[in-house]
Amino acid sequence: MIRRLILCMTVSVLLLLAVAPLAAQEEFVFGVILVGPESDHGWSQAHFEAGHYVEASIPGARMVFFPSLNPADAPETTLHDVVQNMVDEGAQVVFTTSDAFEEDTATVAAAFPDVTFINVSGDDVLTGEAPPNVGNVMGQIEWMKLVAGCAAGLTTETGNIGYLGPLINGETRRLAASAYLGARFCYELDGGNPEDLTFTVTWIGFWFNIPGVTLDPTAETNTFFDSGADVVISGIDTPEVIQIAAQRAANGENVFAVPYDYREACAQGPEVCLGVPFFNWGPDYVRIVQLVQSGGWMPSWDWQEPDWSDINNPDTSAVGFLPGDALGENADTLNQFIADLAGYATNPFVPDSFALWSGPLSLQDGAELAAQGQLVEILDVWYLPQLLDGMVGASE
Amino acid sequence: MSQPKTIRVLFVLLSIGASLLATSVLVLLVGENPIEVFGHIWQGAFRNSEATAGVFNFWIPLALCSMGLIITFTAGLWNIGVEGQIVAGALAASWAARTFVLPNEIQIPLELLLATAGGALWGLLIGILKIRFGVHEIFGGVGLNAIISVYSIYLIAGPWQPPEGGSAQATQPFSDYALLHPMSSQFPVSLFTLILTFAAIIAVYLLLRGTRWGLQLKATGKNAKSALLLGVPTTRTTLTALMACGMLAGVAGAYRVLFTYDSLRPNVSGGIGFLGLLLVLLTGMNALWTPIVAFIFAAILSGSTRLRVSLQLDSSLAGVLQGILVLSMLLFNGLRQRLFERRRASAAPPASPLDVQPLVSDSKAASGE
Amino acid sequence: MNLELQHINKTFGKVRANQDISLTLRGGQIVGILGENGAGKSTLMKILSGYQPADSGEILIDGSPLRAGNPLKAIEAGIGMLQQDPLDVSPFTVLENFVYGQVQGRRLSNREAAKRIREQADSFGFDLDPDQVVSRLSIGQRQQLEIMRLLNLGIKALILDEPTTGISSEQKDVLFAALRDLAVRDSLIVLLVSHKLEDVIALCDEVVVLRGGKLVGSKQMPATTAELVELMFGQALTPQARENVTLGDTALRLDGVTLRDKRVAVEKFTLDVRHGEVIGFAGLDGSGQELILRACAGLVRPSAGHILLNGQDLTGKRYRAFRANGVVFSSAGRVEEGLISGLTLTEHLVLTQTGAIIDWAAQRGRTEGQIERFYVRGAPESQIQQLSGGNQQRFLMALLPDQPSILALEQPTRGLDVDSARYIWEQLLARRKEGAAILFTSPDLDEVVAYSDRIIVCFAGRTYEITNTAGMTIDQLGRLIGGAVA
Repeated sequence: MIRRLILCMTVSVLLLLAVAPLAAQEEFVFGVILVGPESDHGWSQAHFEAGHYVEASIPGARMVFFPSLNPADAPETTLHDVVQNMVDEGAQVVFTTSDAFEEDTATVAAAFPDVTFINVSGDDVLTGEAPPNVGNVMGQIEWMKLVAGCAAGLTTETGNIGYLGPLINGETRRLAASAYLGARFCYELDGGNPEDLTFTVTWIGFWFNIPGVTLDPTAETNTFFDSGADVVISGIDTPEVIQIAAQRAANGENVFAVPYDYREACAQGPEVCLGVPFFNWGPDYVRIVQLVQSGGWMPSWDWQEPDWSDINNPDTSAVGFLPGDALGENADTLNQFIADLAGYATNPFVPDSFALWSGPLSLQDGAELAAQGQLVEILDVWYLPQLLDGMVGASE
Repeated sequence: MSQPKTIRVLFVLLSIGASLLATSVLVLLVGENPIEVFGHIWQGAFRNSEATAGVFNFWIPLALCSMGLIITFTAGLWNIGVEGQIVAGALAASWAARTFVLPNEIQIPLELLLATAGGALWGLLIGILKIRFGVHEIFGGVGLNAIISVYSIYLIAGPWQPPEGGSAQATQPFSDYALLHPMSSQFPVSLFTLILTFAAIIAVYLLLRGTRWGLQLKATGKNAKSALLLGVPTTRTTLTALMACGMLAGVAGAYRVLFTYDSLRPNVSGGIGFLGLLLVLLTGMNALWTPIVAFIFAAILSGSTRLRVSLQLDSSLAGVLQGILVLSMLLFNGLRQRLFERRRASAAPPASPLDVQPLVSDSKAASGE
Repeated sequence: MNLELQHINKTFGKVRANQDISLTLRGGQIVGILGENGAGKSTLMKILSGYQPADSGEILIDGSPLRAGNPLKAIEAGIGMLQQDPLDVSPFTVLENFVYGQVQGRRLSNREAAKRIREQADSFGFDLDPDQVVSRLSIGQRQQLEIMRLLNLGIKALILDEPTTGISSEQKDVLFAALRDLAVRDSLIVLLVSHKLEDVIALCDEVVVLRGGKLVGSKQMPATTAELVELMFGQALTPQARENVTLGDTALRLDGVTLRDKRVAVEKFTLDVRHGEVIGFAGLDGSGQELILRACAGLVRPSAGHILLNGQDLTGKRYRAFRANGVVFSSAGRVEEGLISGLTLTEHLVLTQTGAIIDWAAQRGRTEGQIERFYVRGAPESQIQQLSGGNQQRFLMALLPDQPSILALEQPTRGLDVDSARYIWEQLLARRKEGAAILFTSPDLDEVVAYSDRIIVCFAGRTYEITNTAGMTIDQLGRLIGGAVA
């Protein structure tokens, strides 16, 4: 009896010893740090869902996340503290998902040399400022902003399009400019004179509404519609634009919206939604986590193209555009436009560049960006210094 | 007036216990184990010296602001403008950090000096608005908060943006000689500022207890008309109180930019001033209790970072716990007064937040008209 | 209604304010509560009206105990109190105070309430308009408002703490008539707390007397003043002899001063006050005497004319400049303007001193000295509001600077009994001998006639100077105040 008991115990201890490290090996913890809430129907939620996508795709992968890391919402903590907590939880990769974290990611990464950091939308790797354990990743949403602009250009009847931008920097300028180029092109396609098109950019001052600090996106959207615009394209992380458009449409107004950066954004007002350009971080997250797991990760600055065979494929495409119900008969024209973009991008004889970013193009102050027939280099798009000539709105 | 110390302590402990209990019920309701939750908060705050340093790094600005607010509350002023005073201090310190290139030992005092000047100026403006133009300090404070906040964002996005282009998120990190340095990598807290904070606590305590200025603050706060008739320079008292609070808030702001963030950020004050207002009301303006309660709040808030990361609980739980703590402290404070103080000196107004009624203080009286 | 107090006890710190007080009151009775300052009258009334709980003892209403400690409960039970310092909310209008003070559920519409205010003010002869802002009212008007509000709450027992202070004798007669009427017709119990023996004699059916917190006697009316004084103090008072003081140089000169507030305007008023002189101001509330007194202290700025202090032009300067030149002002509302609730006696005294660091032990000793010197009933660490009205007033005297040049005093003996008032005047006259000029207002014409070298009578902003005070009778003065001359 006693021998059997001892045997049992020995076996179980052995089993435990064998299984415990196995289990430990299998679990792979990664951290996701968000600048906004995880349910913001925008930028942060897209990252949060990519984390879930990693958990679903890689066995043993476990996400730890921290929402709303900014001085206003979490004054008591810093990126360093949060990373410290995540590392104590066993995190080996940390995604810092805002350019707000760019500087801090570099300093914190130096303090945790064994952890891999991925700063989303930063360019520290490109400029060489990043420590060796930092990588950058971003999707080429510019393509989808071209599509968004096109949808607006096809739809507008007043020839007046509003663009609600966040704060002003290279990224936001190039996105607004892409939307403008798409709108101009498709307005002409639809029989309009591109010189008559009014394209106004209003910057609220931050990625989302901070009462008393930013302009109120609700009020600004209403101002657009009140001053004659019938389509407003959102460049901010939160869904005020489509909400207001839906309210005004319910009151009989003929207005439309293009929300931004969250796949399900159209659900807030399908009857006014022309479609949404969105990020799909899942595939890149999985790629990076797998590279780190295998030990093959190297720092890189990745600006990911869509999967042109199916831009909305959740398993392959970094960015996408989901057409909205409100497109109506313009849907076919838009699909053709997307197909043309794919043709441009996959044409081996065209140099690496964005469609429609070709001369003659000038900046707002009149300086030439590209001469007739010349293409704009993609890094010149990345660092776009001003809005384009023809757009109304502040460049600085 | 002297309340048995043991009863006070007992009631504080009781209120903390009650709030823990109430939070436990809430946590159970959302299907988590309360012991685990509190365990994580505790771990988050004190699991190692680095975590504890995080608590201190939040406590330092919180305690500085709270001590400043004790001064203004004593003078009967609702200094909502403390947030703006933090930002003003942060701006002044940032300006110094960007402008001067001096050895650390000279640069730091210079930066802090400018930060106190910046905070004091922003406090003084509230006072001038109140006394010269009859603008109540709450409205003046809210307005000045907005102005300085927008101005700081303008600086970050404009003139002070990093050379590679502004993302409106932060200025270029300040150079090493301009920053406060941690005392060690195990306990990354600025020793200099820590000592400064303790000195500020003791100084405020002594000022209010043993100086004419402290008594003048109290007299002005309780009845400015009478104080004036008794010979108190009420105008000067109001202005100096706001300036003193601004100085301490300014140091808090400097700490945020010179240590916590290494650069100027938008919303650098982060609502710390408002939390300070709450704390000071909670402790009935007691100069010794306030920093202790501030530490408890800093620990809970800082510890909840851990809670969010490892339990992935809804981020508002720490806020809920904090709210319940406030409610139960107010509740038990009221209970204690009901049970003990009324019996002792019924006509004597208890030293409770409800006794602070600067709202009705007459600005004209303060100006001596 | 029957109101019974049984074995009421109350202590404040070391002071035993009420000791084992038992009293029975029946509907329709008008009872005077007499006692010198600090005898415990106010405390007893506050307990009865629910503003303070008793330490022990019971209040029975028609035999059932009242759980007091709450003025609302007391009002519901039918007991209302008119405080010495009226309880109203300054920034609001008469109408708003009237309406918000009503019991919930029975709240009147604004129009009805305004109508009722006008009717009742008419019937009492009160000078109240529903739209007036309370902060602009005189203390007298505020008391009128409070009386009306309480009567409208349907109370069965009304406690009046010094109700006649600040209202004219004419108004007093009207009020007393109304109270008598209410007692007879509605069986209202009226409790009158007063130092003014003539009020008690005029109104009450019975008096009870408190001394040192104990109930020491009662007497059915009518009784003579002498009898009542003896009950209160155990001795009869002797009138005070006037002392002749040689007057000094001009201390204060008002030169064609024009002053205005919402109620009254004083045009081109000129007055020379010499060191050692006592000038009494007589007039109904809001006739301009308060304005003049405040102008003398820099609390009101003249729109024309000059104010010279010992030859120095201080026109347009603030109170602090006046104070620095030896002017001291004391207001009629002691707790609102003059003393600071929540501060101890020592702290008050320290405020009037100089020096950056406070030596608390030494200051406590000084306070003890002043307490003894001015017969203040209280300890250095007592908070000022724990003291009775008379003790507060005596302590104000203790706070006066050593050698004031001008004392501008609003109703310096407001709410004090005869003995306390005489003591205050002894102190004031001592200052006068040292060369201080005294300017004071008082609703008590006896006081004005007794102490003034010159009297300024104010009526609707006009002034009339009486230099021959000796030949002045109260009746003559009363007619002047009513506007008989000018």
